[in-house]
Amino acid sequence: MKTLFIILAVITSILSAIFAVLPISNLAVIPAILAFAFAFAAHYMSKKEGEVRKIIPFTFFLTTIALMLSLYKAVFIASEVTQTESLEAKEIQLEEEAIDELEELDLEIEEIEDITIDE
Amino acid sequence: MRISLILIVLANMIVHAQNSAIGISEKLTYTASYNMSGILNDIAEVTLETSPVKTSKATLMRLKCTAVTFSKWDNFFKIRDLYESYVNPQTLTPYLYNRDINEGTYYKAMKYTYSHKTNTVKTVQTKKNNNIENKTVSIGKGTRDIVSTLYTMRLFDYDTMNKGERKTLTLIFDRKEIKAQITYLGKEEISTAIGKKECYKLAIGSSTEILKGNNNNLLWLTADKNKIIVYGKFKIPVGNGELKIKSASGLKQ
Repeated sequence: MKTLFIILAVITSILSAIFAVLPISNLAVIPAILAFAFAFAAHYMSKKEGEVRKIIPFTFFLTTIALMLSLYKAVFIASEVTQTESLEAKEIQLEEEAIDELEELDLEIEEIEDITIDE
Repeated sequence: MRISLILIVLANMIVHAQNSAIGISEKLTYTASYNMSGILNDIAEVTLETSPVKTSKATLMRLKCTAVTFSKWDNFFKIRDLYESYVNPQTLTPYLYNRDINEGTYYKAMKYTYSHKTNTVKTVQTKKNNNIENKTVSIGKGTRDIVSTLYTMRLFDYDTMNKGERKTLTLIFDRKEIKAQITYLGKEEISTAIGKKECYKLAIGSSTEILKGNNNNLLWLTADKNKIIVYGKFKIPVGNGELKIKSASGLKQ
């Protein structure tokens, strides 16, 4: 049972570390909670037997780092959009093409000729 | 019986409403979040923008909608989507529609040129490797594209509607007509990035599987003259998420 908890603690702490470095860092909290729970259980059982393996404090350390990184990203790194140049160029291109095409829609445009816009 | 009912509703749906809600230089910015294991992750920025477009004969309104993934996602799944519709600024009747989709390695462009006299739409679909497909499709009276439909929803007078009352709109998407139902669910006050707002709560449904279930897709429109979308909850075949307003400028009222 103790070995099972150690294995689960290691897996979930590694998972939380992976999530923390990915854009889905918010999700790191789920495996982190599981990692703490498994690590605590493994630590408690190991202490009862009188021998705590070094891997258990390591999982605590790794999970704490993952949680701190996740928290840092949530608080200090703002979501922003970049690399929009091609989209902006497309917007201009489509507008120019649209104006040319709308000029040709004589019959369709008749009904809206006198429209003015309230600014 | 059902078909007759729909036809009656549709007949009543010929929009006589005039635009008193949408400004000519309006910009609304939203954050789209996707639900992963119960935790919302900000995925993309969605912008709805209007601007005047002058031709030698008239001034039209350009309704533009863009969706851009946040930079942290760009290395995994980059989205640069553009939807636009050139409409009559008073009635929002569309004349031209463009859709340009760039999602990862997927590319698709679609252009509709409306002919309201013949109730047809000339469509041009372009896929990767310049694979072009032309097709003319027949549409019903009052059928609009997705962008002008989104804005048309802001022209309705929700104050005169009863809770549970439904309106049906027909829109053309991927060259097929889809019926969308808007159900008025009443007023609700919600907190948003632009302040606490009293809103009209609407449920959106469709005749296809695009929007799943009843009342799973909800929109909150401010219960003022601008009727801007401030919050949305959606459920699609691949999951669910939210749309939250970040900023609003150039409002008409």
